[in-house]
Amino acid sequence: MGGAGTRGMLGRGRAEWGVFGRWTRVSAVALLAAGIVAISGLRGQPPGAVTPDGRTAAEQERSDWWAPGSGEALPALAVYKNASGHVGVLNTEGPVQTKGHPFFEPIGSNGRACVSCHQPADGMGLSLRSINERWRDSGGTDPIFAMNDGANCPTLAPGKASSHSLLLKRGLFRIALPWPPRNAQGKPVAPEFDIEVVRDPGGCNTDPIYGLNGENPTISVYRRPRVVANMSYVTHDGFGVGPFVGKTGEPALRDPDTGKPLNMNMMADARTVTLKAQMADAARDHLMIVGRLTPDQAARIEAFERQVYVAQVDMGAGGSLIEPDGPPGMGPFNLRDGAKGVLGNNTTRWVIPVGDAWTSAKVGETAQQRAMRDSILRGQKIFHFRTFWIRDSMHLNTVGLGNPTKRTCSTCHGMHMTGMDTVNGWMDIGTTNLPWAKEAPRNPWQTEDELMPLFRITCSRSAQPHPYLGRVIYTQDPGRALISGRCNDVGTIVMQQFRGLSARAPYFSNGSAQTIRELVDFYDRRYNVQLSEQEKADLGNFLAAL
Amino acid sequence: MRGVAPSNVAVALTALSLIVATAAQAKDRHLAFVACPIVQDTPTVPCWLAQYRGETYYMGIQSDVSADFNPPSLGHKVLVEGTVTDKTVCGARVIEPIRISIMPALSPECGDLRVVREGVDLGFTPPRPPGPSGGRLAFTPPAAPPTPTPPFTAKTFLVPYDFEGMVGFRTPDALTPALSFAQIIKPSRIEVTGYRGATRLSDGALLVEHEGIARERADEIARMLRGAGLDDVSFEIIAHERPTQGGPELRRVEIKIIP
Repeated sequence: MGGAGTRGMLGRGRAEWGVFGRWTRVSAVALLAAGIVAISGLRGQPPGAVTPDGRTAAEQERSDWWAPGSGEALPALAVYKNASGHVGVLNTEGPVQTKGHPFFEPIGSNGRACVSCHQPADGMGLSLRSINERWRDSGGTDPIFAMNDGANCPTLAPGKASSHSLLLKRGLFRIALPWPPRNAQGKPVAPEFDIEVVRDPGGCNTDPIYGLNGENPTISVYRRPRVVANMSYVTHDGFGVGPFVGKTGEPALRDPDTGKPLNMNMMADARTVTLKAQMADAARDHLMIVGRLTPDQAARIEAFERQVYVAQVDMGAGGSLIEPDGPPGMGPFNLRDGAKGVLGNNTTRWVIPVGDAWTSAKVGETAQQRAMRDSILRGQKIFHFRTFWIRDSMHLNTVGLGNPTKRTCSTCHGMHMTGMDTVNGWMDIGTTNLPWAKEAPRNPWQTEDELMPLFRITCSRSAQPHPYLGRVIYTQDPGRALISGRCNDVGTIVMQQFRGLSARAPYFSNGSAQTIRELVDFYDRRYNVQLSEQEKADLGNFLAAL
Repeated sequence: MRGVAPSNVAVALTALSLIVATAAQAKDRHLAFVACPIVQDTPTVPCWLAQYRGETYYMGIQSDVSADFNPPSLGHKVLVEGTVTDKTVCGARVIEPIRISIMPALSPECGDLRVVREGVDLGFTPPRPPGPSGGRLAFTPPAAPPTPTPPFTAKTFLVPYDFEGMVGFRTPDALTPALSFAQIIKPSRIEVTGYRGATRLSDGALLVEHEGIARERADEIARMLRGAGLDDVSFEIIAHERPTQGGPELRRVEIKIIP
């Protein structure tokens, strides 16, 4: 891996943090600042420009890619550059020896490892930038482009960009789900609706083998990989986790080993709810493993996933987010130490607390740092206090708040430290259901064809109509409904954590927001928040700093 | 038989007449109607109103899931059942107590969201403002029932429903105690009885839930209890599809847990 030098230099310095604790952070921050300068020097150069170490700028830029089986150690704190500054990957158990580690080794049959789609440099997710760099550098042969799910459909021609357009343009992998749906025990669920394929640009939903009319009827939806970090928050058993799902009333899924009800906020459709079940699902469908993970492999993967924390550590010239007296809600160290599985608010235990750390200028603070910190503080206030009318959002407006409800961003994004939903929950904010989902304009002059499939859902007469969309719903991804079979679950998606956002664009489960600004714009449009340009920039900086 | 003093008879008659009068008054003040809900914004949380026969009524405010009153939905009509009072909030007569049901059919004509107006206010501090939450839910949830101890006897739990309603976000409040009880006593059998309701509206019309809903409700509750862990218990499903005319309390499922 070409980036060993860069990562090694920064990694060794920061690896000490985990050993010596917070006292070493000041010096480590100085090291980090030096690293920032070193990496930032590459920015703005043409891809072919040669850097002092003899590599091109393009090679240096992609040096953070972690290939399966590289065998290097992942430092206690690994730091990687992104458009906003740097993201930090904190291993609370110390440096991770990846040689022979099942998370990092290509244990499947298609050359992938877990790390293929959960890259440290991408905040343990996978950015579109990395995907396109791998396409360019590998000529489309990198294992992430494996045809089983890295192509629009396995039957397409390998090596052609058009066969992988959903991955290359939106960062989406194919998720093949059985029709009719099956529950967590694999038993068929009688759906409340019929599904038809209206548009199928990838060709898989109408494919005679892989499609809806195949021998094993299957629906292909396309989704982003989720972040594998901060899992003690994602899989918490605290507030809102009980025998029934607080939003729908349905029974919560239970741990097959203990029988205890579980949080269902890990996957986009909540089809599996334990790390063990998720990794089995991923090993089978994404790594194409022969057989199963061994108990030892599963235990090592789970242990790694439970100890890794990810958050932005600096905003470039905008300054550090992890100073010893910095805001208590920023950076991976605070995530490690934060209260898990508790509901945040905006008075006593903020969803994302910033405290008083930045209310006055610090010694040596630059004008750029001051400006960025002021902007983040304003953005944090918008997130917690700016009310707007939240309307027609399934499993939000239906849970006792009324439709519309006058609330804030933090109403839904309420989990302390992560901005996730604390209770078991999936909701439809319109990212996949029409009329709000992003669709290429159709007119005589358009040059862009819509990438996403489109399904027509017709809810049966025996079921209650969807409260906001009626009995006929057009959707790019039915979301949770492909598991539950419920009409009112169509287009509902489990919300994701806010951490490491700067490292892993694009956003939403279908990658429809290419940037944080597009993400903010979606909400502004969807809920008529009426944010000013300055407010959008402030909210964007706040999100980028997480 | 001992005699009854005339004065006592007078007192009893007076009390009886008061009860009858109060009951009659309550009946006079009982209101049941279906209308579009109206959102009236205020400087704090919005009020939810409804109009019936030229009068504007106050149903409640936005708070959170812990509140007794959960607001309805624009885009749908609402069934309002309650007692009219002489109080006024947000410039409208208060119905209290009140029970509302969001009608399942889409009603796009129901879209009245009124902006803040001078003089239209709650007149009190809402338990849960739209922004800062105070770090707690608006209302404290009821204490959990005491843990049962042997010898166990059969116990019945009620699951209430909105008109035409099925399982929703409030159902766990009713089901969790039943589940906990069953998990402790290890029942031999659970009877789940579903009912179908009917409501006489103030205009004389009879609003009846759809046929089959009693069975659907009972089936759904049994499925939920099995899904929550009672998968090795014998369930008996009973459905009363003959509509029971009355108030919201008759739209229900009874869960009888038998040791």
